[in-house]
Amino acid sequence: MSRYPSLWWEVLRLSWRTAPGLTAGAYAAVAVSVGAVAAVGLSLRATVDATAQGAAGAALLGAAGVAGAYALTLVLQDLTTELVGTVSDRTGRMAVHPRVHRDINAVQGLEHLERGDFLDRVSLVRRSTGSIARSGWNAVLAVASVLKLLVTVVLLGGVDPVLLVLIPLAAAPVWCDHRGQLLVQRAEVEGAEAHRVQQHLFDTLVGAAGGKEVRVAGAAERLLGIQARAWREAERVRFRARAFAALWTLAGWTVFVAGFTGGIALVVRLAAGGTGGVGDLVLTVMLAVSLRQTMQGTVATAAEATGMRRVIEPYLWLRDLVRAERERGAADEPPPEALSRGIALAGVSFTYPGTGRRALDDVSVLLPAGSVVAVVGEYGSGKTTLVKLLLSFYEPDSGCVLLDGRDLGRVRTAGWRARTSAVFQDFGRFHTVFRETVGIGDLPRMGDGEALREAVRAADAEALAERLPEGWETQLGRELGGTELSEGQWQRTALARASMRGDPLLFVLDEPTASLDAPSEEAIFRRYMERARAHAAVTGAVTVIVSHRFSTVAGADLVLVMDRGRIVESGTHGELLALDGRYSELYGMQARAYAPEPGG
Amino acid sequence: MGFLRNWPLLLRALGPAGPVLVASLAAVRFLERLVPAVTALALAALVGVLAPPATPGTFTAALPPILVLGLVVLGGHAGEAAAAPLEYLARSRIDGAHRERIGRAVSGSRGIAALEDTANQVLLRQVRADPEHGVESTPGSGAVAALRWTCGLAGAVVTCAILARFAWWLVPVVLVPAAAHRYLRHRWSLTGADRWRTAIRGELHADVWRGASVSPSEGKDVRVFGIGDWMVDRMQGHLVEANKPLWSHIDRTLRLQWSPLLLVLAGLVPAYLLVTHGAVSGTTTVTVQTAVLAAGWSLYQALGGSADLFHMAGAARVLSSTAELRGRLAEGGRTATGGGGAADGSAPPRGRGPSRVSVIRFEDVSFTYPGTDSPVLDGVDLEIRTDELLAVVGLNGAGKSTLIKLLCGLYRPTSGRVTADGVDVATMAAGQWRSRLAVVFQDFNRYELSARENVLLGRAGPPDREALDAAAEESGFAGVLERLPRGWDTPLSRGRAGGVDLSGGQWQQLVLARALYAVLGGDVPASLLVADEPTAHLDVRTEFALFRRLEERRRETGIVLVSHRLSTVRRADRIVLLDGGRVTESGTHEELVALGGRYARMFAVQAERFRTDRTAPREGGPA
Repeated sequence: MSRYPSLWWEVLRLSWRTAPGLTAGAYAAVAVSVGAVAAVGLSLRATVDATAQGAAGAALLGAAGVAGAYALTLVLQDLTTELVGTVSDRTGRMAVHPRVHRDINAVQGLEHLERGDFLDRVSLVRRSTGSIARSGWNAVLAVASVLKLLVTVVLLGGVDPVLLVLIPLAAAPVWCDHRGQLLVQRAEVEGAEAHRVQQHLFDTLVGAAGGKEVRVAGAAERLLGIQARAWREAERVRFRARAFAALWTLAGWTVFVAGFTGGIALVVRLAAGGTGGVGDLVLTVMLAVSLRQTMQGTVATAAEATGMRRVIEPYLWLRDLVRAERERGAADEPPPEALSRGIALAGVSFTYPGTGRRALDDVSVLLPAGSVVAVVGEYGSGKTTLVKLLLSFYEPDSGCVLLDGRDLGRVRTAGWRARTSAVFQDFGRFHTVFRETVGIGDLPRMGDGEALREAVRAADAEALAERLPEGWETQLGRELGGTELSEGQWQRTALARASMRGDPLLFVLDEPTASLDAPSEEAIFRRYMERARAHAAVTGAVTVIVSHRFSTVAGADLVLVMDRGRIVESGTHGELLALDGRYSELYGMQARAYAPEPGG
Repeated sequence: MGFLRNWPLLLRALGPAGPVLVASLAAVRFLERLVPAVTALALAALVGVLAPPATPGTFTAALPPILVLGLVVLGGHAGEAAAAPLEYLARSRIDGAHRERIGRAVSGSRGIAALEDTANQVLLRQVRADPEHGVESTPGSGAVAALRWTCGLAGAVVTCAILARFAWWLVPVVLVPAAAHRYLRHRWSLTGADRWRTAIRGELHADVWRGASVSPSEGKDVRVFGIGDWMVDRMQGHLVEANKPLWSHIDRTLRLQWSPLLLVLAGLVPAYLLVTHGAVSGTTTVTVQTAVLAAGWSLYQALGGSADLFHMAGAARVLSSTAELRGRLAEGGRTATGGGGAADGSAPPRGRGPSRVSVIRFEDVSFTYPGTDSPVLDGVDLEIRTDELLAVVGLNGAGKSTLIKLLCGLYRPTSGRVTADGVDVATMAAGQWRSRLAVVFQDFNRYELSARENVLLGRAGPPDREALDAAAEESGFAGVLERLPRGWDTPLSRGRAGGVDLSGGQWQQLVLARALYAVLGGDVPASLLVADEPTAHLDVRTEFALFRRLEERRRETGIVLVSHRLSTVRRADRIVLLDGGRVTESGTHEELVALGGRYARMFAVQAERFRTDRTAPREGGPA
């Protein structure tokens, strides 16, 4: 909890920077509303007392004062809600939102995106930037409530000091409510999984891509059933917690109201004894009633604040993650300008956090500078993991990756990545204009028409670009009013993107042509081989191709055959065939399928 | 006036919460909203006791009103406390039912053209009742606010009665400005809700980059290419642009706050002055004066806070957009179906139609995507028999996937027709026709559910254990299943408790199992299995084994295979080549190779690599 105040302070400063006028207005509205509490009570007492004494002028003046104070209170209520609402919204969108996304992107590893439980937290934070901004303002509202309480105390004490007893009693509802909110908070977490499942199913159902299969399979009813069940599951947990929380709240208020009723009795006794006026009674009751509202405000904001922990805790977690990374990033060596020996793995083992099996198991191999390395193996054998470690998405549990003998762990990740390029099996589909979806492969050269054309050519995507209705400026994605691409066409955009960088030291192609037709595959492979050779000649670049298709692998300088996280065979295509092991067997299977007569 | 129309509409939206819940909530809120008025009465009674010169019995006489006062205040708290969980439940039930209805309406549209329509996606985003930001309202929040507001009216009536005790005309004096005040705020809220609607389009563009930040797929690209910061700038640009109209509206209303202030003063000042004047001059008592002073402003409160009005306005917009969306979907459905047809894609097959289809024909079918000029398919004639393995090949973008979508009735041909045993499939109920098909799409769905559910979602109807196991066996998914920690019950997402992530190849086997599940069971087993690049991520051994098994079943179930791997395609009974939107070559592998056309060239390209590499030690391995 101790880190909250500094977070709130930070948020309020952001508010000021984002919307100074509105922020000032919100502070002013809050301040005036504190004064209005006193104004209502005092003018009421004055009016009632003056009336009792028959002082017409004073009574009328008081009545006008009561009207004014009430009008102010009412308008301020709405105004504060709106001001705080919109300031939080704008601060959330314009200041917290970019910050959170920058933080998410600043984490250089992939664990927070690939590990389900981490991704949950990240997704929650990025959806809750408004709430994070709101938390600072809730603190302001809470302070205002305390001030109103103080004003009330002073006024009540003026009637009779004994009434000050009510103040400690006011702690009862606050404490009880806090207990209740803890329950609610726990339930939010407990119901989160079911809630997310229903969200996912709903989005699948109503999206064009997902809806297609649902329709053909006739699965809509079943899917809707599961979705509704998940919804109810989350609802059940959360409702129960809220019901118990309500009991806590009620208990707290019962204590307070009992004390309050006693206080009124005391004031009445004084009035009956002739020591106090009727005005005192009215003042006390109205103060106590408004104390109820004041306190309710405090309790409500406190409740909201505890509810906010749900989003703030993961936010702080994310920031810690980023900070830890920055500190670790003290390893600030630049990557080598060129490779002379190559990239080596030395006794590298890696297990995905939260899983039991080693994805890589004591792998040692040298990927020589200037070579094309093919990695083959059946699925789950560790091919993609190997590539992810080369790109610093994960760090080895033991062993290390060496760039010309230098530990990759000591090289600045962003610097190293800037000297790599990659296409993945699950490449990104950026629904923006075509030019951008390619251009982001090398931001500095995004506006360089020649570089773009060259990249598109490399990916054999010229025909695709030509056929788009608005050419390079075509928005992609039919749901955004643009053109939808087929799987193979998306793959080409990914390939083109990966071809933007001119001088990579490492170029990764992870199943780059799974969805491409034969002539394109052939053309693309020929071009990428040429590219690889060209890069190799200049910087000693290493090209790594992960593939199931042996035809595409044969031209590699080195073929690594993986099985269960280990490299079981390695050598050139010819050497491996001669070895007559796993590679030769799998190659034979594919080759026979293309032989003049289907072999058996 | 919009408000009067929306109000009953929102109250009706309370339906799904159930009568018991609504009644309890209404009772609780009603009592709670009476509190300010009753407090005023109790206070006035107390003042009435104390006003005359005190006697020894005064305190005893005052005890009942004091007790009442205490109980009333406690009642207010009790009401507030009880309302919280009840309102949550009501909101949740209403929104849950709403989402289910939306889901049903959307999946009821026959084709998918409606889903790809931007305007529909904007509407969907608006009505999905899944608020990502505080400013969005849902039918649940609006209906509950409407109920709260209605109960507030009851409080207002009591308050008016108190005012009337002094003078009847005081009621309109206070009530009219109070109503005007609320109306003004309501109008502002409505405009705000409208502006939020226009912001959605920009938000959809921002979503592209938002989604990219938290996706493991795009996440890799983001990191390799270092576009994180650039992406955030883009996203913020969209946000500013999208929200500008909304924010300028709010700024304007904030500058106009003097008008509600004047309205409140216009109601309270005359009332308070008159009652005070009356009390001083003796025409009324201090008791009445106290009651009026306390009650007058509670009338303003009873008419609802701005949050209630905001949610009511927002929810009313959601409801009208829902109606609009349903209208658009229904309209799209009409033009797509041609004939009535089952509204729901998952309706079980009905009618007489033969349970097994034997021939499907594309008759001069052309298709152009809505909003584009060039046809993707241009006069396709194709016969598909359900006792053969037919392979469809072609370059990327040749229209192979579109062909499948037309076959499934997901789009309607621009011209020509698709028939099953002579019957135009467009005239058949969607569910009836589709139950004959089992399709493996290239971008298949990865449900974050158990492995079992993932397969069961292959067709409608009750689960069939035997078919499930048989499908897993035939697709090879059984091998994956063995390695899952909880077998069939393992959730296939690491975000779920005890869940695991499958690799691309494992997913592909699962999806084949899903399709085979539709082939192997159900009231009417599917007669045709359509697979679009079903093995792109499978390794060689698995792929070969799988194809061998599939080939065996082609006499019972027709198979349409779309693939770029000609090594698998060559074993098909018939191969058709799609080029330039038409079928340009058709025949067996041998025939097409002999023809020496495009297919022959494509095959040569792939085979070439193996042949040239055969210069390496030949016949090395055992056959």
